[in-house]
Amino acid sequence: MTPLRLMAATFAVAATVGAGGTAAAEEFTVGVQIPLTGAMARSGTGMSEGIQTAAELFNKSNAKHKIKLVTIDDESNPAKAVAAVEKLASQGVVALVGGFGSNIIGPASDAASKLNLVYMTAGGVDNDLTKRGHKNFFRINNTQGYERAVTQLFEEQGVKSVSIVYSTKEATADLAKDLQKSLAPKGIKVTLHPFDPAITDFKPIINKIKLQDKSEVIFMSAYENDYVGIIRAAKVLKPEIKAIVGVWSLATSKMWKDFPDLMPNITGTSLLPYPVDYKQPEGKLFNDTYRKMFNKDVDYLAQFGYVKATLLFEAIARAADGGSLKKGGLADELRKTNKETLIGRVQFDASGDNLNFRHRMGQHQDGKIVIVSPKSEATGPIVWPGLPW
Amino acid sequence: MSELVLQALYSGLLVGGVYALIALGLALTFGTMRVINLAHGELVLLAAYMAYMVESRLQLNPVFAVPLAVLVACTCSALVYLLVDRIRKNRELNSLMLTFAIGIVITNAVLLIFSGDVRSTGSPFMQDAVQLGPLFSMKSELGAFIISLVLVFALWQWLSRSWYGRAVRAVSSNRDAAKLMGINPARTELISFIVAGALAACAGVALYSSSVVHPALGHALTVKAFIITVLAGVGSVPGVLAAALLLGVTEAMTVTLWSSALQELVGMTLFLVVLLVLPNGLFGTARRRG
Amino acid sequence: MNAMRRTAFALLAVLYVAVPAALGSNNYLMGLVVSSLIVAGVAVAWALLGNLGGMVSFGHAAFFGVGGYASALLTMKLGIPVLLAIPLAGLVAVLFSVAMLPALRLSGPYFALAILAYAQIFRILATEMEFLTHGSGGISQIPVLPTIAGFDLSSRTGQFLLLLTLLAAFLAAYDAIRRSHYGIALRAMHDSEDATRVVGVNSVLLKSWMLFVSAFMTGVIGAVNAHVINFLEPDYAFSGIWSVLPIVAAIFGGYRTVTGPAIGAVVIYLVDQLVFKALVSTGHQIILGSVLALMILFAPDGLLPLLRNALRRMRGASHA
Repeated sequence: MTPLRLMAATFAVAATVGAGGTAAAEEFTVGVQIPLTGAMARSGTGMSEGIQTAAELFNKSNAKHKIKLVTIDDESNPAKAVAAVEKLASQGVVALVGGFGSNIIGPASDAASKLNLVYMTAGGVDNDLTKRGHKNFFRINNTQGYERAVTQLFEEQGVKSVSIVYSTKEATADLAKDLQKSLAPKGIKVTLHPFDPAITDFKPIINKIKLQDKSEVIFMSAYENDYVGIIRAAKVLKPEIKAIVGVWSLATSKMWKDFPDLMPNITGTSLLPYPVDYKQPEGKLFNDTYRKMFNKDVDYLAQFGYVKATLLFEAIARAADGGSLKKGGLADELRKTNKETLIGRVQFDASGDNLNFRHRMGQHQDGKIVIVSPKSEATGPIVWPGLPW
Repeated sequence: MSELVLQALYSGLLVGGVYALIALGLALTFGTMRVINLAHGELVLLAAYMAYMVESRLQLNPVFAVPLAVLVACTCSALVYLLVDRIRKNRELNSLMLTFAIGIVITNAVLLIFSGDVRSTGSPFMQDAVQLGPLFSMKSELGAFIISLVLVFALWQWLSRSWYGRAVRAVSSNRDAAKLMGINPARTELISFIVAGALAACAGVALYSSSVVHPALGHALTVKAFIITVLAGVGSVPGVLAAALLLGVTEAMTVTLWSSALQELVGMTLFLVVLLVLPNGLFGTARRRG
Repeated sequence: MNAMRRTAFALLAVLYVAVPAALGSNNYLMGLVVSSLIVAGVAVAWALLGNLGGMVSFGHAAFFGVGGYASALLTMKLGIPVLLAIPLAGLVAVLFSVAMLPALRLSGPYFALAILAYAQIFRILATEMEFLTHGSGGISQIPVLPTIAGFDLSSRTGQFLLLLTLLAAFLAAYDAIRRSHYGIALRAMHDSEDATRVVGVNSVLLKSWMLFVSAFMTGVIGAVNAHVINFLEPDYAFSGIWSVLPIVAAIFGGYRTVTGPAIGAVVIYLVDQLVFKALVSTGHQIILGSVLALMILFAPDGLLPLLRNALRRMRGASHA
């Protein structure tokens, strides 16, 4: 009988919480389902801080509407993410924001779709996510944006051959294969080196690149621990390459701080130079507020979190004013978005994908991160060829 | 091609050296008590984080963390023994479960204290390249390999020469007979756990200096150590070294000649084949079948 | 014993009605209950192998993942109806368990870790066999459970009823095997394998049957989970969680009893999610680990036997 009684008790508690959440007139509850523990904890925490900053700023500048956030940790686990979405729904949230990792966002946004709730994310770049025909799913970034940024960098530098070293995980494998598809027609020679996420010694792979591929560039589609292993192996074997390029979680000030001797001249995706140098007033305000709230510098995760949450909050306000919020009009309102944001212009297509998303490439230079590609956005010249040794 | 294979052999041997350090402690306690310490990988991890702490807080080379790491890992290892020793019922299964639970606790404690970030040495000295003819490695890898050889030799000598070493072997081959010979089995087992802790501590510092650590790594280390113990067969210290080197080389060769995605697959398959076909491991003496 | 069985049936009937009635409108709590029943199903299968077969497995994720993938592929590539694909997926898991037969000769810890190696190998194969499994990208939009006679099994209540039925069937099968003379022989084997061999019981054959039954149950649960979560990828389908949680649950509930593992799973999962998570949001597994360690040290038979003894004492008092 213990479990039954426990469930009944919790149900009673949850019911009262739910009732309380919807009672306030112009306050809207937004659910945040995000990983704060488990494999995705670091990324989820960064995004979550961006979302909180967005709510803080929105509430300060907006007299008519207030946003209240309810956050649930999904523990980087799909079933718990679904449970989180359902719990948030039962508490009467008007929309959901968050998620990290396509494998978690998939089932979580499926659940949201069943419950007719808008799901806004910046943590799932998988191509399949926008092919499901959900009307309530929105995201501000995607694999194409990463792929375009890397392709453009290679074109600008006239790269002839690339060895792609990638982890056999979902997002990393996706990106590696998409990149191969887009580089091959341009006459760039591509060699693929998939590796199991458990491996730690990359010297045999790098040696193959050195002796067999003889590529100009090593491209890494992987995660932080792999980056460290790959760059170290490269530093030991010193293949005759011109550059080492990677994607997410690489061109960050934290990587420089932790591994200063590995990072010089390494290039990765980054929307922000470091030190952060916002030109728009919105960016400055975001930066100051974030710093006050969390006592640290803005990074790309926080910025993604901020942008997606702000777009959502503004759409909620518009829908509430137009009277369509309670009638399920939030998705239509979001689809009308056409706004210059900190990550560039955002417009959603019918499947909820951001049409304009294009990443930028940042290079580690003496503890700073300089945006080096696309050239139109560059904050400094690229060091090319440029290696950590 | 030959250059490729030679480098793979060399890399594999160096990695195998660290594997041997990781596996020795597990093999020792398994030999004496027939208890698989599923928290062994977590002890190694804990030692690696001690190295991180010493390096990041005191700005010292991780090598100086060895005393602290030994202290922490030996204490934890002794605690594991004292808890396992309390189990009276169904010892084989329950000790497996208990050490597994301890592993969960250590992993999460590390996560709570040190966060989930990846850690590795920042010391340029450790990461510098060393070139031996056509062969390349990091200084730390070569250093860890040499230390591993020294420790294997020391352990082997200790087990065959010293009184306690012989007591450990006596208890592992026949507990009751050892008792009759005036050996205190409980104390002998405790000592073997403490020695295992010291070995885990060295392994952890070596791992931090030559590779990357994060909180979720402990379980994978335990599995690797167990694979090596099985390949080696029970009761052979040089066997552990040989098996570890074999595994390291096999993995590196798989990556070089086949595909890097299949490295783990080949290791696991090797493990199963040896387990099922060679009941005594490659170098062992004891029986393992039911 | 009979009285206990009658209470069990009565309790089951109550669960069928009471849980949906009390929680049906709350998707979140029903979702948690559904997740806990999935763990419960695997825990029962694990305990059957451990208790009757005398073999502790550290790799039930192998069967769970194979079952999930089999059902997803059968429904999506061959168009087989979901409710037919689920038992077929169980059979596919049995097929895969044939590869593990050589491991049956291994003793205790060796068997446990051999099965873990199989789970790892299956995970890597699922990643590498892209033509079939989509590799690491995984399979999304796996069909939901169907609507039968106007009743929507894909609703939380539907999932609950299906899983509860499966669980009841598993428990009944487990109990029947245990009381059959095979079960008696199997339990005798724990005491002395040599003795049973002399009496003429083929211990390897009996153990193989237990492995098949356990693989089938786990495969079926893995298949249902695939249709509940509608998504699979190798890291998730073969995740160590599916090996670990059932063990914790079974130990907690009492793995020597029939119903202990199932009750243990539901209690542990719900308490962990509703209480521990609220207490320590980051790293609440540390509590789980500590609870497991304490249980092994102080109550190695699990909670259920403890409760049963307490109940018996109370009943004895009321009779007197």
